[in-house]
Amino acid sequence: MSPTGIESSRMNRKKGDKGFESPRPYKLTHQVVCINNINFQRKSVVGFVELTIFPTVANLNRIKLNSKQCRIYRVRINDLEAAFIYNDPTLEVCHNESKQRNLNYFSNAYAAAVSAVDPDAGNGELCIKVPSELWKHVDELKVLKIHINFSLDQPKGGLHFVVPSVEGSMAERGAHVFSCGYQNSTRFWFPCVDSYSELCTWKLEFTVDAAMVAVSNGDLVETVYTHDMRKKTFHYMLTIPTAASNISLAIGPFEVLVDPYMHEVTHFCLPQLLPLLKHTTSYLHEVFEFYEEILTCRYPYSCFKTVFIDEAYVEVAAYASMSIFSTNLLHSAMIIDETPLTRRCLAQALAQQFFGCFISRMSWSDEWVLKGISGYIYGLWMKKTFGVNEYRHWIKEELDKIVAYELKTGGVLLHPIFGGGKEKDNPASHLHFSIKHPHTLSWEYYTMFQCKAHLVMRLIENRISMEFMLQVFNKLLSLASTASSQKFQSHMWSQMLVSTYGFLKSISNVSGKDIQPLIKQWVDQSGVVKFYGSFAFNRKRNVLELEIKQDYTSPGTQKYVGPLKVTVQELDGSFNHTLQIEENSLKHDIPCHSKSRRNKKKKIPLMNGEEVDMDLSAMDADSPLLWIRIDPDMSVLRKVEFEQADFMWQYELRYERDVVAQQESILALEKFPTPASRLALTDILEQEQCFYRVRMSACFCLAKIANSMVSTWTGPPAMKSLFTRMFCCKTCPNIVKTNNFMSFQSYFLQKTMPVAMALLRDVHNLCPKEVLSFILDLIKYNDNRKNKFSDNYYRAEMIDALANSVTPAVSVNNEVRTLDNLNPDVRLILEEITRFLNMEKLLPSYRHTITVSCLRAIRVLQKNGHVPSDCSLFKSYAEYGHFVDIRIAALEAVVDYTKVDRSYEELQWLLNMIQTDPVPYVRHKILNMLTKNPPFTKNMDSPLCNEALVDQLWKLMNSGTAHDWRLRCGAVDLYFTLFGLSRPSCLPLPELGLVLNLKEKKAVLNPTIIPEAGPANQESASNPGCHAQLAGFQNPFASSQDEEEVDMDTVHDSQAFISHHLNMLERPSTPGLCKYRPSSSRSSLMPQHSLGSDIIPTTKPQWTMELSRKGIGKEQPMEMSMHSMGAVPLSVFAKESTSSRHSEHHHHHHHEHKKKKKKHKHKHKHKHKHDSKDKDKEPFTFSSPASGRSVRSPSLSD
Amino acid sequence: MADTAAGPGGSGTRSGSKQSTNPADNYHLARRRTLQVVVSSLLTEAGFESAEKASVETLTEMLQSYISEIGRSAKSYCEHTARTQPTLSDIVVTLVEMGFNVDTLPAYAKRSQRMVITAPPVTNQPVTPKALTAGQNRPHPPHIPSHFPEFPDPHTYIKTPTYREPVSDYQVLREKAASQRRDVERALTRFMAKTGETQSLFKDDVSTFPLIAARPFTIPYLTALLPSELEIQQMEETDSSEQDEQTDTENIALHISTGDPGTEKENASVLQQNSLSGSRNGEESIIDNPYLRPVKKPKIRRKKSLS
Repeated sequence: MSPTGIESSRMNRKKGDKGFESPRPYKLTHQVVCINNINFQRKSVVGFVELTIFPTVANLNRIKLNSKQCRIYRVRINDLEAAFIYNDPTLEVCHNESKQRNLNYFSNAYAAAVSAVDPDAGNGELCIKVPSELWKHVDELKVLKIHINFSLDQPKGGLHFVVPSVEGSMAERGAHVFSCGYQNSTRFWFPCVDSYSELCTWKLEFTVDAAMVAVSNGDLVETVYTHDMRKKTFHYMLTIPTAASNISLAIGPFEVLVDPYMHEVTHFCLPQLLPLLKHTTSYLHEVFEFYEEILTCRYPYSCFKTVFIDEAYVEVAAYASMSIFSTNLLHSAMIIDETPLTRRCLAQALAQQFFGCFISRMSWSDEWVLKGISGYIYGLWMKKTFGVNEYRHWIKEELDKIVAYELKTGGVLLHPIFGGGKEKDNPASHLHFSIKHPHTLSWEYYTMFQCKAHLVMRLIENRISMEFMLQVFNKLLSLASTASSQKFQSHMWSQMLVSTYGFLKSISNVSGKDIQPLIKQWVDQSGVVKFYGSFAFNRKRNVLELEIKQDYTSPGTQKYVGPLKVTVQELDGSFNHTLQIEENSLKHDIPCHSKSRRNKKKKIPLMNGEEVDMDLSAMDADSPLLWIRIDPDMSVLRKVEFEQADFMWQYELRYERDVVAQQESILALEKFPTPASRLALTDILEQEQCFYRVRMSACFCLAKIANSMVSTWTGPPAMKSLFTRMFCCKTCPNIVKTNNFMSFQSYFLQKTMPVAMALLRDVHNLCPKEVLSFILDLIKYNDNRKNKFSDNYYRAEMIDALANSVTPAVSVNNEVRTLDNLNPDVRLILEEITRFLNMEKLLPSYRHTITVSCLRAIRVLQKNGHVPSDCSLFKSYAEYGHFVDIRIAALEAVVDYTKVDRSYEELQWLLNMIQTDPVPYVRHKILNMLTKNPPFTKNMDSPLCNEALVDQLWKLMNSGTAHDWRLRCGAVDLYFTLFGLSRPSCLPLPELGLVLNLKEKKAVLNPTIIPEAGPANQESASNPGCHAQLAGFQNPFASSQDEEEVDMDTVHDSQAFISHHLNMLERPSTPGLCKYRPSSSRSSLMPQHSLGSDIIPTTKPQWTMELSRKGIGKEQPMEMSMHSMGAVPLSVFAKESTSSRHSEHHHHHHHEHKKKKKKHKHKHKHKHKHDSKDKDKEPFTFSSPASGRSVRSPSLSD
Repeated sequence: MADTAAGPGGSGTRSGSKQSTNPADNYHLARRRTLQVVVSSLLTEAGFESAEKASVETLTEMLQSYISEIGRSAKSYCEHTARTQPTLSDIVVTLVEMGFNVDTLPAYAKRSQRMVITAPPVTNQPVTPKALTAGQNRPHPPHIPSHFPEFPDPHTYIKTPTYREPVSDYQVLREKAASQRRDVERALTRFMAKTGETQSLFKDDVSTFPLIAARPFTIPYLTALLPSELEIQQMEETDSSEQDEQTDTENIALHISTGDPGTEKENASVLQQNSLSGSRNGEESIIDNPYLRPVKKPKIRRKKSLS
């Protein structure tokens, strides 16, 4: 921490203080988490938390906390029993009775449910009533201590237990448990304020088996045996204010390794893996040094812990002063491919320690700053560690990814601003989910969000220079570390929270530059830029006429106005030009510096100052232009499609030194299958100085070109002689040298070339025999005995190469595939695969790469009709107990089988696995793969698409995945892919064609019917009496069916209930809450609620309570509410609480309400919210008696 | 007689059923046959006309055991008195010890109805075959006293150099190594597939491409991550052989191209780490890491927050 940093931070504080206002009427200062029992056998946890809070308003009467799936026994405030209500609307988003099956409806309801418990809006699942004895105390704003006893039984999310079923004690079995989840998921394992913006200090205590270690955040103060000496208690203190969402835990029989370079860093791994851990973490100190140096700031915590666990939720999860990694990142010194990947994970985790854990965010819309900064400094580390080429290549890759994603889905918005208005002001209406909460986001969107965030940070760096950028980071960190050492009373903790506003303010203070346009373009707005460029050379004027068009009408695009750099390589050198892209100017004239010359032999200067000889015979004699690049520095998030002649691309490939340009020209050359392109690519392949990734992609391009010019191709198959020259013995060219992977560049090339070669096809569109036998020889003569490194990845790629060589079988009148009619080439391939797969059983390779490749290859053989299509093999490999990579590969094959063979059975099998598999990552991955490779899509007719499936998926996302945000969003993605946004077409018409539009106070035809069944419905409407539902909407009250009855008495009753409940609470709600209420009055919200539960209340506890009761005895949420009522004695604690006074109230209401339950149960199933625009489009609007009554109903009167 | 019966008592009975070619076995067989005749004659003497084979066998066995025991016991007595040859008194003591009334023996021997058995045909003593001698043993050189053992047969120390050129052609060697490995692998996997459960890609044929059935592990990451013993061994070998690889012409070229700073650095850091961790053991006490501290005993005075 630099002294200047502190001073400047002090100076700026006054100005920046505008910052943070807590959404809660209290401030949390300290929290104790004590878990005194963990049972691995039963997978249960018992403990308590104690939150120390200071009320910030005088009449605080209710305290809302977050808690999910915890069973709460007892709540005490300052040792007084307190009443509490536990309700979680996200458990079941849309209630059962709803037959709505459209995703629009679900997404709205889900977003509403999430915000109803969103801590950033001051909400929570757990609502605690402050005992009346303490009101006076509260009015004096004195400290409150909330003590909550809770337990967790078989948690489905938040905490993950891994208990291998072998003999021995839990420690011997390697059983462990760890916290996991996506974004703020701490509420899954203990009650807390699960927000990134509520910081407090922590005391964490975990009592575990004596053979186990509990790793958690902060400093391990002491470890104490329990009295029976069979258990140990780990006491942790975290004095740096930290958000609950950054609290984590890992317990297991870990092996402990103190980092030999930094003794305050400790690594943990599962038994037997210590040698791997030593090797893997031996590099970490360099990452530390790098970050501390560039940020000129010490690592903020006093210690750091890395834990490597099995069945990880994500590969890397960063928490305050500790990171949880997948154990599969561990590797030995023999493994090449995994090493950089693992190091990248370590560096990522460490970057997030600074930005994400130590510095937290104010609100969800500020997330991009943290992800951006951590991603950006991680990029700087990449540049330093792997070199500029790797860095630029990575940036290009990330840019391509985000561009492709945005163009596909319609945009990623980094900084969503939500107007105070209604939820419908969704800034991302093109998406099938709400981006208002992290928990409603599709996982893919979130990954892309992170990707865009760091790219935008890089754009900012381009604008203000890296020096300033790092100064800004340093300033944020200095501010935070000053604040962190202060007492709570100083009110400085909020300085540890970063906001978009604060960040931008810092930037302008430090750099003095205005980056507002940049922010507006990339942060406040979604979309990327799509450029089309072409040019003409005007010889007379010696001017380059460049035309740059933009597409800003397709989804995911935006218009770009501003500077754009264009680099022109001429004969006399390389020149940069900055064009101003404006509204209407498409053409830009760029004067050329050099005249064309043909015969003068002179070296040509390049951008980097190098001078080279070129063979200029290929170029246009009249023009001095060698090649042109648009936006070479990637300073716009864009896609460029640029047209230039093939020889220009070839020059660019050969002589431009930027790897991005080389990559782009390789891509462009695919369209020019000429001998010249072939030569350029071959030259690149042979150049040792060339970046290995460029050479790798040149391989694939060469294969494509060779295929396009198959009729004119001369000489041996592409790359064969090259490979022979590089990797085979001089004396016997058909035998590959014994493996020596000391040079990684040539290792990667050696791995890739055969894979690309296998893509070659002859005139009959078959893989040339020569190539196949070449690959088989490579496998045959592969000899790794003298190698320092493992060749498992190499062998796996050889199998991939075999799979690539497979072409569709020639099938005579659909004969059944048997061994007898097996193609001889395929027989050879199959023999290799069989041998490899069997050898894996005896000598398994690292991460079973070979099994994975074999499974993929078998699926390729099946798909091409050489082997009977059958997925029983894959299903056996997909079972729990195989290594996760194998499982994923096998599941991928099953997913593909489901699609190709349209197998309902396999689809059911997959869906079942999504619900029951013990590994969260696998569940997530199945959904993800089904979404990527769906068995059918919304516009397709498929026998698989039926009502049962719709119901099943609906149930999955509605209530089946409530324990895992990521999984639920994955289910939503799948539903969207299969059925689209509207009601699935395979469903029959809804029974009730009528809905009540409360806003408009009239009943209208259910708008969900319209998109698919509009005409049919109109027809039926003109023919009254032929459909049951018609009778329904003509006179809803005449129907005796409960479902169709619009019972206004119930409306009235529930209103009465709510007002009664309000009376019970007696005190007016706190001002802090009022602020966050929608502008409409309370009463106008209520009928929405009472008319069915499809809209989830945002801030009102009365509602949520009422919702939970409605379903008593039916589903899980009710069970929860029952516990919270204290009606079910669960333990000693609970018994006490049932007898306490507070519960009497609840019982009273409970009974009163039960009488009404039946009526509530079936009301207004088909209520649908839709805006007036929709309504105008309706062919009919019905005014029914119902609407008339609802106007008069007390609930609607203002 | 008793002496010889004492040692290999059991082996004779066992080999009885089998056709044996071993001379020693033949000897035992003959002895056993004699015993059988004795038993039979005793039975005849006692008035039996016929006996089941099994009972004769049992009696033979009993007789043999009895004689063996006498022999064994007599040997013990004689050794007890520091002799090597048993005397009559040893036998007498033995018989007395075994509860046999020695006085009745002369009367029994002279009984009238006793049958005289012809002596068994003299079987050839088992001859230990002579060791194969090849060539003449070398006489001792003058400086070795003659009481020293003779030289072994010449073939055990004389070497015969063969001048057939070993296969050194690179291509052939590689070819051989490759096909050998492949054959071994194939045989091994086939064997495994035959002896265990298999899966097949073809419904109609399970033997041509047998796949060893996938078996889930209880702790899958261990096999996936830990290098196999073979690999570890291999790595150690390559590490040590790296220096002399310099001479290999093929490797020199490769070695030059491996001037990759990354690997060099990595190696260096690994080495450094090794030396560091080596020295660490010595100064373990200096490292103050909370996870290395001893676990404290519970304090009685401190009330647990649990209660």
